[in-house]
Amino acid sequence: MSRHGTVTGADERDATSAPSAVPPAAAELIGRIGWLIRLRWVAVVGVAAFLEIARRLFPVHLELGPLYLVLAGLAGFNLVVTLLVRRLRSSEPGPPRGWAMRLSRLLVPRPLWGLEGEGRTLRAAALANGQIAIDLLALALLLHFSGGIENPFVFFFVFHTIIASILLSRRATYLQAGVAVVLIAAVAVGEASGFLRHFPLDGVWREGAYRQPALVAAQLFVVAATLFLSAYMGSTIAAHLRNRERDVVQLSRQLGDKADRLEEAYRRLHDIEQAKSRYMRKVAHELRSPLATVQTALSAVLEGLAGELPERPRELVERARRRADELARLTEDLLALARAREAHEMAEWEEVDLGSLIADAVHEAMPTAADKGVAVVVELPTSPALVSVDRRALQQLLGNLIGNALRYTPTGGTVTVRGERTGDEVRIEVGDTGIGIPAEDLPRVFDEFFRSANARHMAPDGTGLGLAIVRAVAEQHGGGVEIASTVGEGTRITVRIVCRKSLSRNPGERIEHP
Amino acid sequence: MTEHAKILIVDDDRDLVATLRLVLESGGYRVVTAHDAEEGMARIEQDRPDLILLDVMMPDATEGFHFVWRLRGRKEPDLRAVPIIMLTAIHERTELRFYPDSGDGTYQAGEFLPVQDFLDKPVAPKELLERVRRVLALSPAES
Repeated sequence: MSRHGTVTGADERDATSAPSAVPPAAAELIGRIGWLIRLRWVAVVGVAAFLEIARRLFPVHLELGPLYLVLAGLAGFNLVVTLLVRRLRSSEPGPPRGWAMRLSRLLVPRPLWGLEGEGRTLRAAALANGQIAIDLLALALLLHFSGGIENPFVFFFVFHTIIASILLSRRATYLQAGVAVVLIAAVAVGEASGFLRHFPLDGVWREGAYRQPALVAAQLFVVAATLFLSAYMGSTIAAHLRNRERDVVQLSRQLGDKADRLEEAYRRLHDIEQAKSRYMRKVAHELRSPLATVQTALSAVLEGLAGELPERPRELVERARRRADELARLTEDLLALARAREAHEMAEWEEVDLGSLIADAVHEAMPTAADKGVAVVVELPTSPALVSVDRRALQQLLGNLIGNALRYTPTGGTVTVRGERTGDEVRIEVGDTGIGIPAEDLPRVFDEFFRSANARHMAPDGTGLGLAIVRAVAEQHGGGVEIASTVGEGTRITVRIVCRKSLSRNPGERIEHP
Repeated sequence: MTEHAKILIVDDDRDLVATLRLVLESGGYRVVTAHDAEEGMARIEQDRPDLILLDVMMPDATEGFHFVWRLRGRKEPDLRAVPIIMLTAIHERTELRFYPDSGDGTYQAGEFLPVQDFLDKPVAPKELLERVRRVLALSPAES
């Protein structure tokens, strides 16, 4: 299951279904080449330092001239590679053509073929492969000048193999390991056969041992096995890491998609809700005019303006007018609800004094309270508290709350209306000593058209929209509403609204005519 | 004189016009009717009403307002002074606040509309008769 190694069928399907899930391969590779360049500087300096120490501490003869020549060559090569990488970073080359294309494609995994920026990816891969090949050659030369197969540093080829497994595809890693083995074998066999000159490392192997076929073959086998095993392990671990990386990229992209889809769904839901409210408002509005005409006509008949009305027809007309009035109240409530739900589109913000707003609402309700024999206690802020609200909506909210409290409070009870402002928040609280609401009904009292059984019993003609309007208005003002109630003891409803920024206009005030 | 005043009703709701006619006639007024602004203007010229009951809406949401300003802009002093009672659900439909001419030298901030009174729909017959009586009593034509 390796993306960059021998590509399995499953991997390929993955890659074609979601090509953009592949991490930006070229950028990743170029970054790693930068790391390789730094590593090479360390190697050059390290080998030079080691040579200086070794020639002083160990009684061995070292061919310093050729060794330093190889190191200088490697340093020069590193400079060239640095320039090449810089050019690759700043340009977007097209893909190579012909045999170069075919050859370089051998070095990158199939899912990366034909992707956007393939040119850069292929060139980066070629560069990485070329570098490692040169590194292998450099190490082979260093070894050749310092004992060949005798030199224990022959195992340093493992580092090249590991680097290859990190940088390159699995295929290329094995290829590089193979190149390393061929180079070592060439040095060993060349020296054993006398084709190449042997520079002995005194005392490491028995003298002349580099010429014994069995010993050389055994050493070569161990080195080759080590290299291929590390190629296998290194590329397996690298493939695992790459898969993880790809999974993380894919996962975060999926999460992003999900969040986008959720947001879109929410927005559509909101639009639908708004369209519903608009529709409701239009329908209610269309009902209003004919209904008003019906009310006027029935009133005219009842008031005898069309001639004296006998008792029994009068009774029927009275019923008709009562129901027409009820329908009109329902229509008004629907309008108020739709207006509050359409929120900012419909709101007319103005700055009003919370105290006088509440006082006006209470004043309006006083005749009803007096008729019923219910006491009204008002607690208002001591200093004027200017709040920016939709005055009409808030009047409706207060009217509904106080109206409800009075309606469901028997004679002798008390209705308490409280208003206060703390910081940016306004709290309006209306409590009563009325019939209360059964606990199981509490969660539903703010639903449209819901009326609990005891409320219906006490006041048959409510619309069931009053508290829905209260909640909609509270939400329109960026707040909310809470209710606490005990059957037989009373109900307390608390509305919280958030103050908007002050407006400068104050339209309610009377000014002198010029 | 008030009892025989002539009242023009301008409203596109024919049923409401018929109902208001009945109410006003029961109060002893003579009634002429129109169903849109053009017809209303023609009636004013032809019948010289003492008072106009004017619907704000008619087919188009602001036609009533335009009618008021057109009438108040007429050259003929007797035409442009005809008192108007506006029939409205005004705060609902227009999102504006209009205040009638209070006649006492003060007015409320907001939009000013040179009419003598506003009457909310649904119109209560007794309320209508009372308002009509009051406006006619104040009207300069009567004094």
